Amino acid sequence: MSEPFLQIQKVHKVIRDHPIIRGVSLDARRGEVVALCGGNGAGKSTLIKMVAGILQPTGGSMTVGGLTWKGDRRRYVSQIGYMPDDYRFTGSFTALETLTYWARLKGLGRDRAAEALAEVGLDQTGRKPVSSFSKGMRQRLLLAQALLARPPLLLMDEPTNGLDPYWMDSFMALVRQAAARGQTVLFSTHQIPIAEALADRIVFLRSGEIAFEGAKEDMAAKYGQGGWQAVYAEVFGLKAQRERQQAAP
Amino acid sequence: MKTMVVVAARELRGGFRNPWAYAFMALFAVFMLSLLLIQSQNYVAGYSGATGTMLNLVLYFLPLMTLAMGAFSLTGEKEDGSWELLSTYPMSTLSFLAGKYAGLAAVMLTVTAMGFGVAALAGWAAGSGFSPAAFWQLYLFSVSLSLLFLAVAMLIGALSRNRWQALTIVVAVWFFLIIAWQPILIAALGAMPYLWIKPALTALTLLNPAEMARLFTVVKLGGGAMLGPEYYEWIGWIRGPAGTWGFAGISVLWICGFVLAACLIWERGRRRV
Repeated sequence: MSEPFLQIQKVHKVIRDHPIIRGVSLDARRGEVVALCGGNGAGKSTLIKMVAGILQPTGGSMTVGGLTWKGDRRRYVSQIGYMPDDYRFTGSFTALETLTYWARLKGLGRDRAAEALAEVGLDQTGRKPVSSFSKGMRQRLLLAQALLARPPLLLMDEPTNGLDPYWMDSFMALVRQAAARGQTVLFSTHQIPIAEALADRIVFLRSGEIAFEGAKEDMAAKYGQGGWQAVYAEVFGLKAQRERQQAAP
Repeated sequence: MKTMVVVAARELRGGFRNPWAYAFMALFAVFMLSLLLIQSQNYVAGYSGATGTMLNLVLYFLPLMTLAMGAFSLTGEKEDGSWELLSTYPMSTLSFLAGKYAGLAAVMLTVTAMGFGVAALAGWAAGSGFSPAAFWQLYLFSVSLSLLFLAVAMLIGALSRNRWQALTIVVAVWFFLIIAWQPILIAALGAMPYLWIKPALTALTLLNPAEMARLFTVVKLGGGAMLGPEYYEWIGWIRGPAGTWGFAGISVLWICGFVLAACLIWERGRRRV
């Protein structure tokens, strides 16, 4: 088995005395797709932002390709393509202008920007201002941005929000292609079928801790035929809550 | 350097697509035309009531405009999530902020050039106006004010979390440096022993970019005599062979100092655990 490309060891994050991430350890090999699942406030986005170098962990360590953010920031972030959950575009710029700006900052040219736009199916609308774009189209533009430099590690925060079913399939195809090229993918999602269809490994976070980690086969072995509903019920305490409600007179 | 050019080009392009830039440009042009109208009966050369009025009005208007545009541009990066994304890019904070400064400076200089250009054309068409030397000196005054206050705006933008916070600081800084400075200066100097007054005046003048630029322009326009005996050394220095270069050097140091301070604060935010 190859050395993990992404290594997260006992990472903590405390914001204003409130623990957000509590001792999370996780790793991912080259070409592996890992899905981060969990309810609102479970710490998915915080964990992704820490790996991206946007937030600094309060404790623990993180390496990407053997590099740390503090040790060699430029080379560390050069290995990452990050797709944010929330982004307010400058509406007066076209999609191609926006992507070309990002491409140039990554040392790439306009040609690569146009190519990335085509990969996410926005080549026909590349010359339209982003202000005219729907939520799904903006998500695809952000995805194109993350794919620009074909980085070894793709970090995506809720990448499928606002995508229609057709683009959901296209998104899955793009992620599979990236993994086949050897790119490691870490993404967060609320949509369990997406995680199930795409991920080699699924990590459930609950209150900043890993509540479950494994492949979907492990999940089936542990939770039986109940599938993801059973996992959610177990992991988030819904099962106990339901049992309490049924036991009540 | 390449990153800085990319950021500056984006800022420049975005600046000219921003309706605020055109609103400022129109306002500045109207403002300059009004000033021209005020003194339309005379041909103005050197320092006079007309140039003094124009100097003071530019001093009120331009710093506020520059501070607002610069600080909002930086806080916008934070509020829109743009900086969060760019912080995952292989670029330094210095090249990002220097690029923002260069792009915004180009926008501000275009706005002032348009305002002065409209006034010059109107003055030429009406057959009255400022002498070319006085006009050029006032234009340089506006340029230096824009560049100096843009550096202050960078620091305000780095310190502020959002546009509202930036607006509050912008108004406070503008009020302190432009409106309240002279009465505070007079009160402070009045309370000092006589021997301290000259060195204190020198230090305090260098601390306020508006005062520094105003003093330089008034002396260059030939109005140094009205400044009083405390400024005699300044007048001699500004009129001397090294005066213009000295002022340019101090301005560059001022700008670099504020942009570097903005970088340090921005960087501290990135490294904070």
